Amino acid sequence: MSTQLTAPGQLGGALGAITVPARMRATMLRRSLREHPGPTVAGLVGLLAAAWLIRYAHRGDQHTLGLLAGAWVLGWIVLPLLLGGGRGRVLPAHLRLEPIGGVSAAIGLLAASAIGIGPAVSLMALAALPVHAARYGTVAVLVTAGGAVLLWLLGLIGSAIALEVVGHAGGPAGALLTGVFTGTAMGVAGSLWAVFPWVSVLLVAAPEEVVRAMAYVPSAWPVSAVTGPTGQGVRLMATLVGIVALCAAAYIMLVRRVIAAGAPFRPRRTTAASPATTEREWLGWVPAATRAVVGRELRAWMRHPLRLQYLAFAVVYGALLAGLPLLSDVDLLLPWAGPLAVLGAAAMSAGLVGLDGTALWLPLTTPGGERAEVRGRALAWLVLVTPIGLLLTVAGILLAPDVDPLAALCTLPALLGAGASVPVWVSLLRVRPVADPRHPTAADNPTDIVSVLVATAAGLLAAAPVLALMIWGPPGAALLLPLVGLLGGAAVWWGGVWLADERFARRGTAVLAAAGQRSRPPETVLPLTWEAQWYRENKSTAWALGLLTVGWIPVIPQGLMPLAFGIDSGWIVAGHLSGSTHTAVGLAMVGLGVAMLLTGLVLWDRRPQPGGSAQPAPPG
Amino acid sequence: MIPPALEIRGLVKTFAAHRAVDGIDLTVHPGTFHGIVGPNGAGKSTTIGMAVGLVTPDSGQIRILGHDALRERGLTRALTGVLPDGLDFPERLTGAELLRYSAGLRGLPRATAADRAAELIDVLGLTKGAGTPLADCSTGTRKKLGLAQALLHAPRLLVLDEPFEAVDPVSAATIRQVLRRFVAGGGTCVLSTHSMLLVEQMCDEVTVIHQGQVVAAGSVAEVAAGSSLEDRFVELVGAEASGSAGLDWLTGAR
Repeated sequence: MSTQLTAPGQLGGALGAITVPARMRATMLRRSLREHPGPTVAGLVGLLAAAWLIRYAHRGDQHTLGLLAGAWVLGWIVLPLLLGGGRGRVLPAHLRLEPIGGVSAAIGLLAASAIGIGPAVSLMALAALPVHAARYGTVAVLVTAGGAVLLWLLGLIGSAIALEVVGHAGGPAGALLTGVFTGTAMGVAGSLWAVFPWVSVLLVAAPEEVVRAMAYVPSAWPVSAVTGPTGQGVRLMATLVGIVALCAAAYIMLVRRVIAAGAPFRPRRTTAASPATTEREWLGWVPAATRAVVGRELRAWMRHPLRLQYLAFAVVYGALLAGLPLLSDVDLLLPWAGPLAVLGAAAMSAGLVGLDGTALWLPLTTPGGERAEVRGRALAWLVLVTPIGLLLTVAGILLAPDVDPLAALCTLPALLGAGASVPVWVSLLRVRPVADPRHPTAADNPTDIVSVLVATAAGLLAAAPVLALMIWGPPGAALLLPLVGLLGGAAVWWGGVWLADERFARRGTAVLAAAGQRSRPPETVLPLTWEAQWYRENKSTAWALGLLTVGWIPVIPQGLMPLAFGIDSGWIVAGHLSGSTHTAVGLAMVGLGVAMLLTGLVLWDRRPQPGGSAQPAPPG
Repeated sequence: MIPPALEIRGLVKTFAAHRAVDGIDLTVHPGTFHGIVGPNGAGKSTTIGMAVGLVTPDSGQIRILGHDALRERGLTRALTGVLPDGLDFPERLTGAELLRYSAGLRGLPRATAADRAAELIDVLGLTKGAGTPLADCSTGTRKKLGLAQALLHAPRLLVLDEPFEAVDPVSAATIRQVLRRFVAGGGTCVLSTHSMLLVEQMCDEVTVIHQGQVVAAGSVAEVAAGSSLEDRFVELVGAEASGSAGLDWLTGAR
């Protein structure tokens, strides 16, 4: 590109400088569409949503339409941060070495941003506003069409600013915002049954409080401008133009700063060192090495943007999952806000080694460093999440005084015990490194679905005895519930710590190599036909495959089906028994299956590595 | 008899089909500076990584100050200070916090750790880096902080991968002085580098590695064999300094 921009006669002048980023973006988009089906699928889903919005605008409520248009623009600004939309975009930093002024670069970058599926679909969706205004005449259509274009520009510029400031700064504000947004989205998705009736009311006609609030929301102004007095309409549209102009000016300043200063928007922080002598006195009973890791981890939780994002997600997700049912007058789940947040925090912690695993050489060169690393990570998580879980649980209990909180309170220690240690093991087992540990963006995500499921399953396993005793236990068993919860948490804690110790002590160098790996490791090739020789040479792999395949049988058909659904067909062992023996055999089957699956995972981890080595070649 | 500070015998490491280290033997005498040199991809960092326990060897023996590094890990780790390749740190900590964390990991008493960290920060000119998150520190500052954490527990063997890379000349002079005092006090320093000048200035002995094998080892004078170490190095690794042909469009008269 540099050659093109500096070549005299070809692209000389501002117009050339403006069109080059757009042409770059068009090339990137073409390649992206050829290589991945994701954007096309997302585009089709977006098209369906836009079509629905236009259909709704035809007859729907004016204020609800404004709310939906606003949600669309907000989603356009925020979603790329969550889904990695910054990749494949032309950024100000790409133009740093080019002879372009700030204004030309900003216009060029915005022109480039306008090329893509998202902007095209958004423009279609915002066409819902003039469609709605068609009932008020031609002038109204023209005015709302202008308003729709202004809202589109707001989304375009807002998205560019958000990507530059939040996506690259990786600061705490952006991280918290992203966590709150994803937590809300997932919380609402998980509570659709409760939210749906409220949404139905909103779609018919916005309640009075929504109408009042929408007077201050820009996405409602284009339609309001044509339904109210002319003077008010002019004022609303002028304000909208002003907001867009302000955003454009802010973006130009941002681009100019990046190009001129040669650095992305990332404030360099200087932190005053806190006195070492007063640090974490309350952890005096913990070995010094573990205490050091706890200190490092707590700082990382408070400062690492992705960790903050995960924590915010867990809190919001738990609170909404328990609280949203109130929209349908259901308060049964309120005391469960804490346990749900704890479970979410455990699931979100299942990939943390992918964020900072390259620094594991420090414990690996220190006597006893592996044990300290495992225990320090688990303990720090416990220190951080326990107050959150307790606070949310207590808040839920206070908000729903008529609901019996015993089950939620007794489940909490079980979930905390499992959530502290099992994710440490899982993240040491399945390392998915981020591209740049120094400056991760909100689009990075080192967690995969298997890790999340294992971390969640461990919590459920720890809580299972409490829930089983609650549902099937004798009437006096309630007294035992707190003890059972504590014991369940402690047992899974030690199990997780043992597994993580085992993993890190035996395969520490493999974990370190995986954390620093930027390409896929060689896959274990499994024979598709019976090859006795292969099975003789790969006994642990064969056992692992067998256990991971067969282990599900005791868990689901022999355990959960008779216990939870009362299915007792001929080959289900518990089906031939009754009463407490039926329950005991079902639970034993679940335990047996979980043990088989865990053993399978451990053996899989110990399988011989292809190529004779687990590590990629380091330089030199 | 005092055992070698680092003794490697028959070390082998293969990555997929590539044999990165192919039967390396290496002896580092105590109380010396030992340089490891070789072209890019020769196997220096892999050898150093195996010596300090960051890469698992396929076969071979490693002894640190007489102890088996593969079996007596705790003991050999306590004796060794490491500055590995890559400079990966807990990025959210400041420089001072890194030193405190490192001291805590090694169980140093708090007062001792605080005194030593303060002294290292002062001597290595790390006052600004001490209060800055590592993610925002320059490469040179990170290198110096890495060196500080390697020295903090007063090891007997220092293993440093490219310790002077990206370090400014003033800081490099300070580091050289600190390392000389360390070796004069009985410590041993193994460093890998691309700078032959540095090896000639600092090292007592040098090992030249090429394609995973030792091609020359001994005192610097022995290995140089009467010419400059740089010329001898180019000769040993069988390379020919290119750059005299082509590029006429760049070098021709305009």
